[in-house]
Amino acid sequence: MTYCKLALRNARRQARDYLVYFVTMVLAAALLYSFNALAVSDEVQTLAARSANLSLMIALASLAVVCVFGWLAAYSTRFMLSRRGREFGLYLLSGLTNRQVARLFFLENVTVGAAALVLGAAFGGLLWQMLRAVVLAMFAQPYRFALEFSLPALGLTGLYFSLIYLLALGRNRKRIRKMKIYDLLCFDRQNEGTVLRTGKLRRLVFVLSLVLGVAGTCLLLRMDLYVALAGALCAILALFGFFLSFASGVPAFFDRRPARKYRGQNLLIFRGLTAKLASMGMLMAVLSVVFTATLISEGSSSVLYGIMKGRTAESACFDLYIGIEGERLDPGPYLSYIGENIPVERERLYPVCLTGKTQLQDYLEGAYYNNGYGSDPVLRWSDYAALRALAGYPAVEPPGPGQCLIHCMPYLAGPLGTYQEAILVGDSALSPGGLYTEHLSQSYGTANGRGYILVVPDEAAVGLPVHHLAYAAKTARPVTTEQVEALAGLASAERARQEDLSGYAFVLSKAYEEAEVAAQALMVCFPLYYLALALMSTAVTILTIRQLSEMERFRRQFALLHELGMDRREMARALGGQFALYYALPAVPAVLIAVSFIGHLAMMPEPGVMVGINSPAAIVITSLGVFFLIYAIYILLAYTSLKRNVLPK
Amino acid sequence: MLQVQNIEKVYGSKNNVTRALDRVSFEVADGEFLVIMGASGSGKTTLLNCISTIDTVSAGKILMDGVNVADLSEAALAKFRRERLGFVFQDFNLLDTLTVEENIGLALSLNHVDPKTVQTRVREIAGKLGITDILAKFPYQISGGQKQRTACARALVAGQSLLLADEPTGALDSRAAKNLLELLSLLNRDMGATILMVTHDAYSASYAGRVLFLKDGRVFNELLRGGRGRSVFYHEILDVLAALGGDVSDVL
Ligand SMILES: Nc1ncnc2c1ncn2[C@@H]1O[C@H](COP(=O)(O)OP(=O)(O)O)[C@@H](O)[C@H]1O
Ligand SMILES: [Mg+2]
Repeated sequence: MTYCKLALRNARRQARDYLVYFVTMVLAAALLYSFNALAVSDEVQTLAARSANLSLMIALASLAVVCVFGWLAAYSTRFMLSRRGREFGLYLLSGLTNRQVARLFFLENVTVGAAALVLGAAFGGLLWQMLRAVVLAMFAQPYRFALEFSLPALGLTGLYFSLIYLLALGRNRKRIRKMKIYDLLCFDRQNEGTVLRTGKLRRLVFVLSLVLGVAGTCLLLRMDLYVALAGALCAILALFGFFLSFASGVPAFFDRRPARKYRGQNLLIFRGLTAKLASMGMLMAVLSVVFTATLISEGSSSVLYGIMKGRTAESACFDLYIGIEGERLDPGPYLSYIGENIPVERERLYPVCLTGKTQLQDYLEGAYYNNGYGSDPVLRWSDYAALRALAGYPAVEPPGPGQCLIHCMPYLAGPLGTYQEAILVGDSALSPGGLYTEHLSQSYGTANGRGYILVVPDEAAVGLPVHHLAYAAKTARPVTTEQVEALAGLASAERARQEDLSGYAFVLSKAYEEAEVAAQALMVCFPLYYLALALMSTAVTILTIRQLSEMERFRRQFALLHELGMDRREMARALGGQFALYYALPAVPAVLIAVSFIGHLAMMPEPGVMVGINSPAAIVITSLGVFFLIYAIYILLAYTSLKRNVLPK
Repeated sequence: MLQVQNIEKVYGSKNNVTRALDRVSFEVADGEFLVIMGASGSGKTTLLNCISTIDTVSAGKILMDGVNVADLSEAALAKFRRERLGFVFQDFNLLDTLTVEENIGLALSLNHVDPKTVQTRVREIAGKLGITDILAKFPYQISGGQKQRTACARALVAGQSLLLADEPTGALDSRAAKNLLELLSLLNRDMGATILMVTHDAYSASYAGRVLFLKDGRVFNELLRGGRGRSVFYHEILDVLAALGGDVSDVL
C-alpha cells in the first residue's frame, strides 16, 4: 500500500479528531480570504491611494493576521500530532522509519490543508459578502448581492495559507523525524519543562516585561504611527515576557510554599495550569496579544465612529447651511444658485454679531478651547427663533426685557447654566434668562458661534459688529453631493474674485454629512470591527482546541479523584478554579493596555464631540462589554460541556 | 473490620445477564492480609469495585465496622473512601500532572489535613517505602515498581485502615513484583495495615495470610497459611488451583 493511500485512509478514520482540525483550518482560510478581500476592496484601495500611512497599516495588519493565523496553524497541527502520537509510535514500532511516518503525517495534512483552503475561500467569500450587506444596510446604502471572487484576494490567500501551513507542517515533520518511539507513545502524557530555568533570569524577564509593558502602552498613546508601532512591539514583547516568566515562576513559588500548595484545591489548579507549562505560557501570551488587538480594534472603531457621529450631529442639523465670511459679505451668488437649483421650503439669511467683549469666553477659559471669534458671538432673537423652526426644534419663550438666552453645546451647559452675572452686550447689560443645548451648528468659525452663542432681543443687537453672514434652509429634498460641491465651488470662486484669502464660505448639508459618515464608517470603522471579530474568533477557536485536547486528561484525573474519595462539590470547585485562572489570566493585561489606549483615544477629539453614548467612558464600557459578552458566552458553554463530560456521574 | 455478606452482582438486562458475583461472603479481620484469587473474568475486579463503593451490589450487604455502605449518601461514600480506603491498582492510577510527592500528598489534601504538615508526612512515609529520592519526579519518569510504591504510599499516608489492591504486580517484572509483595507484607506486619488484594497469580497469593478462591463469581475454597513457610504455602495454592480444574496454566 502506498503512503498516499494509507494517509487517506487514516484521515478518513480519524474523522472526528480531524473534524476539529479541519474546521479550524477552514475558518483560518475563510478569515484570511475575507481579510484579503477587504484589503483589496475598492473602498479601502481608494482610501489607501490617498494615504501612505493607510497602505502601511494594511501591510502591517496583513503581517499581524498572517502571524496570528500562522500560529493558529502551528498550534492545531501540533495538537493533531499530540492526538496521534500513540498511533505514530505504533507505526514506528511495527517497522516504519521516522522519515516514513513524517512523510505520512505531511501528506495527510497537505490533503486536509488543500481541502480546507478551497472550502475556506468559498466560505470566506460568502462571509465577506454577508458582512458587506449588513454594513451597507446599516447605513442605508444600496447593495447588490454578487458572489464574485476577487482574484488578487484569492491569490494572496493562497500564498499566505500555503506559507503558514507548510511552515507549520515542516516544523512538525522535523519534530517527528527526531522523535524517539517512547516520546511519541507518551506525547500527550508528558509535562513540559520551564522555559526560564533560573530564578534570576525569570525575575529579570518579569521586571523587564513590566517595564516594557508600561513603556509600550505609553508609546501607543503617542498617536504617531511609527512610535505607536514601536509601542505595539514593546507591548507584545512585554506580554510574552510576562507570561513566560509568570508561568515559570508559579512552580517555583509553590515549591517554596508547600503549605500553600496543599491547601484546598490549590494543588490541582496549579498543576492543571503548569502541566503544559511552556505551551501554556506561550498560549496565554498569544491570547493576550490577540485580546489586546481585539479590544483596541473594537475601541478604535467605536471612537472613530463616535467622532464622525459627534461632529456630524452638530454640523448637520440644517438641511443646508452656509457661513459667509469676508470683506464684502455678499450672499448673492449662493442665493441665486440655490434659487435656480434647490427647492427650498423655508430659509433664513442672518448676521452673526459680536459683543466686542470676552466676558463669557474668559469665564469659560478652562472648559472651553479658543473660540476663534475674538469676542462673545451674538444672535438676534428673531433669527434664533427662525433657526429653531428650521431645525425642527420646539419653540421657546423669548428673552424678557433686559434678558438674554444662551444656546450652547451640551458640554458647556454645566458652567454656563450657573452663570449669574449681567452680560454686557453693546450698551445694555442683560441678565442670563434661559439655556438651550440642541445641536445648532456650533463647531466652526463661520457657524452659530463656537460652542456657545448669546441670543439677545433684536433691539439689543442693533449696531453690533457683524462677524459673518449665515444662511440656513429647510429643503424639499435632500441636498445632493453635486449641489454641495457646486456651492463650495462658488465659495472658492468668490474667494479668488475678492482676492481675500481669509474670507471664505462654509457649506454644510445634512444629507451630505450623513452620507460622508456612512462612507467613512464603511471604510474605516467596519474593517476595524471586522478585524476585531476575526481575531476574537481565532482566539475562541484556539481555546476550543485546547479544551478538546485537555478533555481526556481531565476525565481521567477526575475519575481517579472520584475513586480516591474527592467530594463532587470540591471537584467542581477545582475545575472551576482551573477554568477561572485559565480564562482570566490572558484577559487582565489585555484589558489594562486596551483600556488606557481606548480611553486616551476617545479623549483626544475637541470637547463636545465624544458625548452621550460616545463618551470615553461609554466607549470603554461598550468595548469591554462586547468583548466580555462573547468571552462569557464561550466560557459558559465550555465550562458546562466540560463539567458534564469530565466529572464522574 | 469488613464483612461481605451474600453479595451478588449482575450486569446487563433481562435476556443478556452476566452474574459477575454470586452469593459471595467473607470477612476481613483487622490487620489481616487477605488475597482473593481467581482466573481472569472470575469477578475479582467487580468484587473490589463493590467493596471500594465505586460500584453498587445487586444484592447482599457490605459492612464496614458494622455500617452498611449501601446506607451511606454519595458525599458520605466519598468521605468513607478518602478516610478509610487506600487503592493500589494494576495500571498505577497516578496523576500524570503531579509529582510523586504531590500524588502522595493529594490523599492528605483530600482529607483536609493541615497543609503545613503535608510535606513532612509525605516524606515520612516515602522514607519507609524507600522512594525518597524520586519525590520530585513525575510518574512517567519513574519505573513501574516505583509507581506501585508511590501508590502504596498514597494508599496509606492518610491513615486509611484498609488497603485494596487489584493485581498490583500485574504490570511489573518478577523482581519488582517481589519487591512490592515484600513491601506489602512488611506494611501488614510492621505498620498493621489491613490488606485486601486480588490476583490471578499464585506467587503473589503466597504472601497472604489467607487465600480465598473465586471461580465464576463464587467463593470456592479457602486456604490458611498458619505457621507455614511461603514456599510451602505457594505449593498448596497450586494444588488447590489444580483441583479447581485445569486452569493452572492459565493462572500462571
Ligand atoms: N461493566 C460491565 N458490564 C458487563 N459485564 C461486566 C462488566 N464488568 C465486568 N463484567 C463481566 O463480569 C465478569 C467479571 O469481570 P471482572 O470482575 O472484571 O473479572 P476479573 O477482574 O476477575 O478478571 C466478566 O465476565 C466480565 O465480562
Ligand atoms: Mg480485573
